Amino acid sequence: MSTASSAVALSGAAAIVGIGETGYVRGADEGVLQMILGASMAAIRDAGLTPADIDGILPPPGFVAWDEIAAHLGIPDVRYTATPQMGGASPTAALTTAMMAIASGVAETVLVPIGWNGYSALRPRPDAKPNKRRFSAAFFETVRNYYGPYGLRSAPWWYSLYLQRYVELYDIPPEAPGAVAVAARKHAQLQPNALMHGRELTMDHYLASDYITEPLRKFDCCVETDCAAAVVVTSAERAKDLPHVPTVILGGAEGHANPAHELTNRADVLDLGLTRAAPRAFGMAGVTAKDMDFLQVYDCFTHVVLLQLEALGLAERGGAADLVKGGALELGGAHPFNTAGGMLSQGHCWGLNLVVEAVRQLRHDAGAAQVSGAELGLVTGYGDLGDGSIVVLGRGDR
Amino acid sequence: MSTTDKQIPHPTELDLEFFEAAVRGGALHVQRCDDCGDHHHPPRMYCPSCFSGAYSFSEVSGRGTVYGHTVSHYTTEKAWKDQLPYLTIVVELDEGPRLVGTARGIEPGEVALGQSVRVVPETVADDFAYLWVEKA
Repeated sequence: MSTASSAVALSGAAAIVGIGETGYVRGADEGVLQMILGASMAAIRDAGLTPADIDGILPPPGFVAWDEIAAHLGIPDVRYTATPQMGGASPTAALTTAMMAIASGVAETVLVPIGWNGYSALRPRPDAKPNKRRFSAAFFETVRNYYGPYGLRSAPWWYSLYLQRYVELYDIPPEAPGAVAVAARKHAQLQPNALMHGRELTMDHYLASDYITEPLRKFDCCVETDCAAAVVVTSAERAKDLPHVPTVILGGAEGHANPAHELTNRADVLDLGLTRAAPRAFGMAGVTAKDMDFLQVYDCFTHVVLLQLEALGLAERGGAADLVKGGALELGGAHPFNTAGGMLSQGHCWGLNLVVEAVRQLRHDAGAAQVSGAELGLVTGYGDLGDGSIVVLGRGDR
Repeated sequence: MSTTDKQIPHPTELDLEFFEAAVRGGALHVQRCDDCGDHHHPPRMYCPSCFSGAYSFSEVSGRGTVYGHTVSHYTTEKAWKDQLPYLTIVVELDEGPRLVGTARGIEPGEVALGQSVRVVPETVADDFAYLWVEKA
């Protein structure tokens, strides 16, 4: 059997049956463990289950470990645990891992949680309790030795090393990333649980905003927030007996640029992990990006969204600037994207908030942001120095 | 700006070998495979072209072209606040590897992809050489 046909056999084997999330705020009263536990319990209850039903835990890298999650929630028998090491691409990658564990029978019902004090860890209130929870990644060595000494402290500075090249080589006008930022902000106005709910952003406002590091302006960058989210995945069979219409995982894959641990020494620096992951996931699901009723794209930075739209096959290299014109990413457009505001305007929950919103869309429970009759959608992840992940999701039978 | 203000990373393992080669030799060196001659960066235990584990750090001229760049207008780092706006350049060396460094004598606004430049190391510690990027 070829590897491709093996992967196709996974399609539809598992479904997301529970979702949970905290508020997306700056200055949470709770620490990261408490937030993760709250989101996890909410997801388990939303699935109509109890912690005793959970037998797999796939926490992303950092902050909390699976064992303390299991202990606090009272999960008595953990059969499987694993952690993708892909930064912000980890939660979405974990959905493929969950699907594999469930399809193989290693686990039946898997919890995928994430959370952090993305705002307050670096800016504690005067009365804040001490917070020593941190995370580290091997690529930090690369950053420390080869980028840090040059005033390139964190993600916007690192990514600008290749994003400015993208802008210059393909004459990307500022209105293109601006359209991404404006669409996300418009959708946040429809979602009360979004940091930027009630704070509109016009293209003029975007174009007048200051650069952080070229080509990234302030409004090209996602919003640092305190938040947590969690989802519960189980077998497609078991999903049929649970309260909500299942969100079936039709395809999932990860991919990595080479070398993965350093940005600038890739044969093609605009080659994302998603460039490799997307065709694998679409092959498994038997669909293309054009079939999607909505897109949830990891929007750490607007230009990274443009590159991902190209990696998904919706445009040629450099063609995303035309693709996003005329409100194409907004509700009512050809490719409604990040319908709860995304990380640019709802909050930065390592992309798991994008998964939660995808599930709401496919349950037809997305309120004012509902894409009418949504049957198919995708979620991408982007992490560390360009790791990519993707899931293709479909509305299941009831 | 004095280089002593800059963050000195105290590298370890292969990264330390890269910087020690520059410090000891007083010139830029990059990792070169002893078997197939491929130059690569950052250094790795096995050659990405032929998988050989035999390598040396080989002196290079530092000459290359601008592959990428960014002008930073904002920083959270004290050592960089009085340097704003500052220009950081990715140089593709003539030998192939790409290195990141701070522009010296090249102003933001006068940099272009493909422009000829040179990477000049400056020893600032036994285990670290700062990389400057100058006009060729």
